[in-house]
Amino acid sequence: MTAPRGPGTRGRSSLADVVARHGIIVSAGSGGVGKTTVAATIGLWGALAGRRTVVLTIDPARRLATSLGLRALGNAPHEIPRSFFEAHGLRPKGTLAAMMLDQKGAWDALVERHAPAEARERILANPFYQHLSQTFAGSQEYMAIEQLCVLADSGAWDLIVVDTPPTRHALDFLDAPRRLDQFLDRKVVRWFVRPYFSAGWSALRAVNRTASFLLRRLEQATGVSALVNIADFFTSMSGLFESFHARVERAYEVLRGDRTAFVLVTGPEEQVLEDAEYLSAKMAELGMSLKGVVLNRVHKEWRPPVRGGRGAEVGPEDVAQVAEVVARALGKPGATATALAENFVDYQILARGEWLRLEQFRLGLRRGVPVVDVPNFARDVHDLESLAAMHPHLF
Amino acid sequence: MPASLFERRLHFVVGKGGVGKTTVAASLALLLAARGRRTLAVELEGDGALARFLGAPGGPSYAPRRLAPNLSTLDVDGKAALEEYLGLVIPVKRLLATIFSSTVYQYFVAAAPGLKELMSVGKVWYEATRRTGEGPAWDAVVVDAPATGHSLQLLRMPEAARVSFGAGLVQREAAKIMELLRDARTTAVHLVTVGEDMPVTETLETRDELARLGLPLGALVVNRLHRRRFDPAVLDRALAGAAPADRALVACVVERAREESGWSEINAAHTMRLREAFAGTPSVELPFLFVEEFGHAEARALSEALGAGLGAGAAVRGGRRA
Repeated sequence: MTAPRGPGTRGRSSLADVVARHGIIVSAGSGGVGKTTVAATIGLWGALAGRRTVVLTIDPARRLATSLGLRALGNAPHEIPRSFFEAHGLRPKGTLAAMMLDQKGAWDALVERHAPAEARERILANPFYQHLSQTFAGSQEYMAIEQLCVLADSGAWDLIVVDTPPTRHALDFLDAPRRLDQFLDRKVVRWFVRPYFSAGWSALRAVNRTASFLLRRLEQATGVSALVNIADFFTSMSGLFESFHARVERAYEVLRGDRTAFVLVTGPEEQVLEDAEYLSAKMAELGMSLKGVVLNRVHKEWRPPVRGGRGAEVGPEDVAQVAEVVARALGKPGATATALAENFVDYQILARGEWLRLEQFRLGLRRGVPVVDVPNFARDVHDLESLAAMHPHLF
Repeated sequence: MPASLFERRLHFVVGKGGVGKTTVAASLALLLAARGRRTLAVELEGDGALARFLGAPGGPSYAPRRLAPNLSTLDVDGKAALEEYLGLVIPVKRLLATIFSSTVYQYFVAAAPGLKELMSVGKVWYEATRRTGEGPAWDAVVVDAPATGHSLQLLRMPEAARVSFGAGLVQREAAKIMELLRDARTTAVHLVTVGEDMPVTETLETRDELARLGLPLGALVVNRLHRRRFDPAVLDRALAGAAPADRALVACVVERAREESGWSEINAAHTMRLREAFAGTPSVELPFLFVEEFGHAEARALSEALGAGLGAGAAVRGGRRA
């Protein structure tokens, strides 16, 4: 009935194709744009369509559990019981599991897998290891990708949906394996850590006088004498890092692979769109393919239907006129008609700004990338039913 | 804002991504400045968005920029802060240049976990405690922190560093920083949220985490509240009564009214949850603003609403004569 002139409908159905054709979907975008919800919605869609689906979230704020109506998510895939779907009137042909990255647990598991038994305790107690596993920037993101590879290589899943942390972190997400690889570069590690550990400064000085001098000044200046711990850690873990480069290569192979599609989720606000543009440029740079865009929480501007085109804008200057029309429909003029008209015009203003920004944003996208608009539902999307209600808009 | 909150020197603004944290930080800075407090608005690890809301164009600036008699902005970035810090303790410029351009330095920074984060918080601490000949450099420092998870990581860092780094300069600094952060006379961590399920849940978790860290909670700000509600019976009547020529417009008017009512209900329900959970905590509810684009003018409007909501009309003491 209404004739909303929304941001266009180019490729409205093809996000479904993108999901159908890929085994790994990465949902990326800034914080608060509904990335987690979109990931969960895609996961649910896959499960309903008969795929064995798992949704992995690495967000420290643990939002996915709420989205799926689970109280907590574990570090292992947790399958949502059939009864839970049925309680919401859904009959999935496949299965849906959810898991949340437990960063510390994932690192510990890595140590368990790769470190010699006698070194494990020492590594787990090493302060540098504790920092690396808990707070090293990018360490969490690396672990998420490691986890993604484990899931991808297990062959147990038809569809893996990955939720990512907010943009500035999502960039870390893309960069993390490379950065960690550089950081743990065997050559560098050997170059100064081992001699330092085994024979102290004098040995290091023999290897590289400048490095030795600089490091000593840095240690003096900051009082960070963590290098002994680092050396100990690397020495104990050397087996792991021998294979690290190969693991990182594997991670990028998965992220760049044909099975993987990145879906960018964004809102219509200026700040959020800037982040989205930045992220999509970065993806292109890293050879990761942006296969779809979800414009979430979009308001539509109303234009009067006119034969063969769009009618004129209806804005704040038209409040009285709109109120008159509403009053006619209600059968009486008054405060209610005016309030309704004012509310309508407020949303027109909002929609107008969004439309102008979104049109610009679309111009910057690669041609053929499907873009879907999801309206700003007046409801909290946090259970299976409301996730399913988003399907007609996404697919 | 209760006088005691107003008089604190260090304000952290924390919240989930997308709840309008930066705009609230900008509004708080404007409010404090308008009340005569010489205010520094700091954006942590950002891209200059806070300064833009305050009317300063361009990218980030790592030195304080004065925008108005009582208002300056500063961007803080861990890497830049670390370099500045090293500049203070290693006075030989030529040596510093060598250090910064060496791979060893890159490695050291990466290998000293949390050092950059610690330096960011350290820089804030430095500004908050800096004194000039006439007294404290600032009456108030408002920090726009990154999204919640990362913010908590930053705020945890001094304690982590104090415990883990070897005894030395950084450890001593970390202890001093922690002391200031935990002092309820000087510091307040304000929580920003919107009245929706997930952000509210996260806000409750953050509050508990702050308590665990021993960091003093400031005010709760519930942002972007929808408030109008329309009687469904009236909306049905309008739909039924619309003449054919008016039908498209009336249908859209009704749709928007339902949308607004829906959000108002959701916001009201979650605001109730917050009111119960935060009983006794100063809180303010800010309206959703219907504008084409949010900018400096809107930040000003919000700052007035923030002032009214927090009772900033109360006399503000403690600020020195400008």
